[in-house]
Amino acid sequence: MTRTDEQSIYRWRKMEELLRQLMPYIGFVVLVVVFSILTNGRIVQPRNLNLMLSQVYVLMLASLGVFMIMTVGGLDFSQGSILGLTSIVFAWVSQYGIVLGIIAAMISGALMGAFNGFFHVKFRIASFIVTICTMYLFRGLCEYLTTHGPIPASFQVVALDETWLKVLLTSVVIMIGFLVFHFTRLGYDLRAIGAGEIAARFSGSRPELTTFLVYTVAGMITGFASFINVIKVGSITGTAGSQLETQILIALVLGGMPISGGAKARFSNIIIGSLTYSILEKSLPMVFPVSATQQLVKGIVFLVVVALTIDRKSLRVIK
Amino acid sequence: MKEVVLRSEKINKHFGITHAVKDVTLEFYRGEIHGLIGENGSGKSTYCSMLSGIHSITSGRFLLEGQELNIKSLVEANLHGISIVVQEMGTLSGLTVAENIFLGREDKFMHGFIKDTALMNKETQQLLDSYGLKRINASTVIDNYSFEDRKLIEIVKATYFEPLVVTIDETTTALSQNGREELFAIINRLKESNKTVIFISHDLSEVLAHTDRISVLRDGELVKTVNSNEVDADDLKRLMVGRELDKRYYRTDYDGRVSEEVVLKVTDLRVPDEFEHISFELHKGEILGVGGLSECGMHELGKAIFGGSYDRTGIVQLPQKNAYINTIPEAIRHGIAYTSKDRDNESVVLANTIGDNITLPSLDLLANKRVLRKKKLQAFAQEHADRMSVRMTGIKQYVFDLSGGNKQKVVLARWLGRNSDILIFDSPTRGIDVKVKADIYALMSELKDQGKSIIMISEEILELIGMSDRILIMKNGQINGSFMRNEALGEEDLIAKMV
Amino acid sequence: MFRLAFLTTGKAMNETISTFKRSKYFGYALLLGLALFFWVFFKILSPHNFGTSKLMANYLQTSIQYAVGGCGFYFIVVMGMFDFSIGANIVLSSLVGVLLSRHFGYYGLILGCVLCGTLIGSFNGFLYTRLKIPSMIVTVGLMLVLESVANYVVTLDSAGFPGKLTNANVLAFNHAPWNFIAAAIAFLLMGFILRFTKLGTYFNAIGSNEFVAKSMGINVEKYKFIGFVLLHFFVGIMALLTVSYGKGMLAVTGMGSMSRNFKPLMGTFFGVAFKKYGIPVSAIVIGEFIITLIFNGLVALNVPTTINDFVTGAVLLAIVTLTNRGLRGSVVK
Repeated sequence: MTRTDEQSIYRWRKMEELLRQLMPYIGFVVLVVVFSILTNGRIVQPRNLNLMLSQVYVLMLASLGVFMIMTVGGLDFSQGSILGLTSIVFAWVSQYGIVLGIIAAMISGALMGAFNGFFHVKFRIASFIVTICTMYLFRGLCEYLTTHGPIPASFQVVALDETWLKVLLTSVVIMIGFLVFHFTRLGYDLRAIGAGEIAARFSGSRPELTTFLVYTVAGMITGFASFINVIKVGSITGTAGSQLETQILIALVLGGMPISGGAKARFSNIIIGSLTYSILEKSLPMVFPVSATQQLVKGIVFLVVVALTIDRKSLRVIK
Repeated sequence: MKEVVLRSEKINKHFGITHAVKDVTLEFYRGEIHGLIGENGSGKSTYCSMLSGIHSITSGRFLLEGQELNIKSLVEANLHGISIVVQEMGTLSGLTVAENIFLGREDKFMHGFIKDTALMNKETQQLLDSYGLKRINASTVIDNYSFEDRKLIEIVKATYFEPLVVTIDETTTALSQNGREELFAIINRLKESNKTVIFISHDLSEVLAHTDRISVLRDGELVKTVNSNEVDADDLKRLMVGRELDKRYYRTDYDGRVSEEVVLKVTDLRVPDEFEHISFELHKGEILGVGGLSECGMHELGKAIFGGSYDRTGIVQLPQKNAYINTIPEAIRHGIAYTSKDRDNESVVLANTIGDNITLPSLDLLANKRVLRKKKLQAFAQEHADRMSVRMTGIKQYVFDLSGGNKQKVVLARWLGRNSDILIFDSPTRGIDVKVKADIYALMSELKDQGKSIIMISEEILELIGMSDRILIMKNGQINGSFMRNEALGEEDLIAKMV
Repeated sequence: MFRLAFLTTGKAMNETISTFKRSKYFGYALLLGLALFFWVFFKILSPHNFGTSKLMANYLQTSIQYAVGGCGFYFIVVMGMFDFSIGANIVLSSLVGVLLSRHFGYYGLILGCVLCGTLIGSFNGFLYTRLKIPSMIVTVGLMLVLESVANYVVTLDSAGFPGKLTNANVLAFNHAPWNFIAAAIAFLLMGFILRFTKLGTYFNAIGSNEFVAKSMGINVEKYKFIGFVLLHFFVGIMALLTVSYGKGMLAVTGMGSMSRNFKPLMGTFFGVAFKKYGIPVSAIVIGEFIITLIFNGLVALNVPTTINDFVTGAVLLAIVTLTNRGLRGSVVK
């Protein structure tokens, strides 16, 4: 093969790659345009913006943690249950002080994440199995703890339901995540481990430790997100956070996240994905009042997007 | 006896950019045992896997009994009377012995879509008995049997239907003495029933003893076909390697003197089932070669010294730094580098960029108080990729696009970047073309001059003789011999200690 | 002389023991031993609310439903794939069966459940092989879609209580002997498939090493597709049993159907763990029974029902940890 042949193949590949990277942005724009038309412009009106974005904070924060887990090649189906449980912890402890409550929620979230990480790393059980089990485990605890009714947070908490605060907190955490991912060793390690764990190990990465860490941190971030969750709802029921895990999965996929993680994971997946999903989620009821139809559309959109964005070359065997 | 049963005409195989098999035209007679030899990367396994339908043919054709062969899978090849016993594990776990032997060919036991398992088991047992393998039970799940037994079952699978041509690829190394005798008994039986056997092996004495003719491949091309009773091992080696090359390739000096400083000391190192009682010292500026047959344990030794084994006992020490090496991060931190024989899985992260591959072990050094700047990393990667003359379109290119030689260059660039003092190279030139090989040898000499120390583990004897100051030969997991660099050192000396 | 005899009998005994340890009798012994253990354990703790012959009959009737699903799941899991949409299938197929039963009686019920299941299986299989998306991901999307479709089907049911099997004429599968008969047919069918067709061998081969299987000429895509169809065919039967037992079915959204995935899955794990003894079907059936014992035992101990999910998660995790651990040094994601 000549040099010019190689070059032209390379250019083609680069264009393909560029297209795939732009797809989430294109998708976002298409979505906004389509739903603007379908709702007669309602969704782009400033007064509806708040509504549109009301769910995005918790989603984006929880997606940050799962993003890191997926970059390493794992999956996490327990985030919703972790959100529920940490929200309960926060609600309880908030009676003694809000900051104390946040810390307690973060610690409990970290413990739950560590539980996941431990079973996955130590016993070498597939992450999706471990986290499905813990999804039920933690969810059961949530339901049990709320058997006698929803758990209220302290009154001062609800007073904090201000958009600027939510935006600020979310931005700060996302910014920290971004800096860590792009400017520290962890980001490079995560992508290398996701792309080729054995070779990464021989280059000095520590896959077991890093994976365990990532699960713990994901739990911790969700613990922090529980704060934002509670200030919105005020009190926690047993179903708090249910379905969050699928929302995260769909959001990341819409954001262009490669399913098996690795080198092509981009931080933008989190941001664009969460925004796209939130807009989709909030616009659907305006167009399709029946919740079953909303779900149908969500499912189809998900399948279409995955089919278009999945990187089949990197997946050598598709299971 | 001189009837041609199989003929290949200008067979070629390209793997991406690599030209693995070049215009091979070859004839096989009915009822002969035909040896196929060559160095690693010479194309012999690829040639046979094309014959057997495992790999597709890029160009050229095979003619079996005068008819052109057009097969797309192993089962199709079997139907035409061609089979192969592969180098790796060719049986499937989770299936019974009978299921394995008849996999893909259950039709004779089918009534409609119903499978007569009892009949299949019965016939399988009869077969096993006829091969003298009564101790193997047809209906037992194959996982219960040892690697050697599974290999024997594979041999039954490949030969029971009286194929016209059977390829046996590097199988003897997996077998014990008994197993080998069983294998050769089967091969001779095939010859007596006028079947053809293509026998691939690294063991030249074995090949000379058991074959009628031998074909030698080098760098994908057919060098010559000879009659086994007309040549000896030296002749074969000469054909395999091509004398003219080695003088310019390797080091031209014969001075094996090295410094007295010990940089690495290995004491009583052991990995269960792989090797034991390994003790030696590595000196500053020394190239220490380690050789042996594939399964002698040397590959695991390299990995273990680097900290990549799980069950290792014994001590790996850096006397000058008073450090003990137990894990990979420790090894890297103290300046040890490692390139694996299994390049694609253990050395490079295929699904990652050249740049990321090069910078990965050096990230802690490149960080300024834990902060990494992309520009700095990119400059670093570019610098070392250029130093190794990696043929690429840029450091953002993904490694899976590169040829074997260039992948190896990326691996070397990485360790040059880390400025490692002790480099463990396992099969550094395996599957690499001649030009890049020469580059790597030149690099090794350069590193030696800089005072770096190298442990080179290799199955290529000439490479060991050409480059090493000292050579350790391993056999069955232990050190069996030691040679100093000198002009008179020959391959037979090494081989004598290996087998 | 005596020592020699002793040594040889010792060696012979070792060999017999190790052959026994690999045989199916050992497998059965393990399973039945486990079942007995749990029965005794909970019986001691709560003698009146647990384990009476009437209750045992109940346990059996619920466990065989999950076992049927577990059998179907086995084909897919053995090949290394997964399917999240089983629960949604149960819901959808049940509702279709109910709908058709209003006009066609038993024919409607049976055909509705089983045919719908099989169609879903073909659809799943088609999407998986065509789109080449990992099974886990594609079935999440399918679960969403199937749940929604189930909601539409309910709207088509014009009866007084949509989704409820109020017609007493079609409730035979609610109780013995018909539910046992249906389940037994399913188990026998599975045993037949595994023993007397190529499918069992090929599924195992694909799960063991897909590349080698392909090079042996096995059409991997075709068999993966068949695997999905079989899975959902069995799920159709499970739907029949479930809707009869519960006398109806509710449509859900928001992935509520996910919880129906896991009891069958637990049985499947038993099946995979005991594959080496050659008794997968029995392992699934007995395994599901053991799981039912555990759940009912906890209920008998007055453990609050809200803790149900907790128990599900804990039990599944325990089973997997004990049976399906990966090898050290292997890469598990």
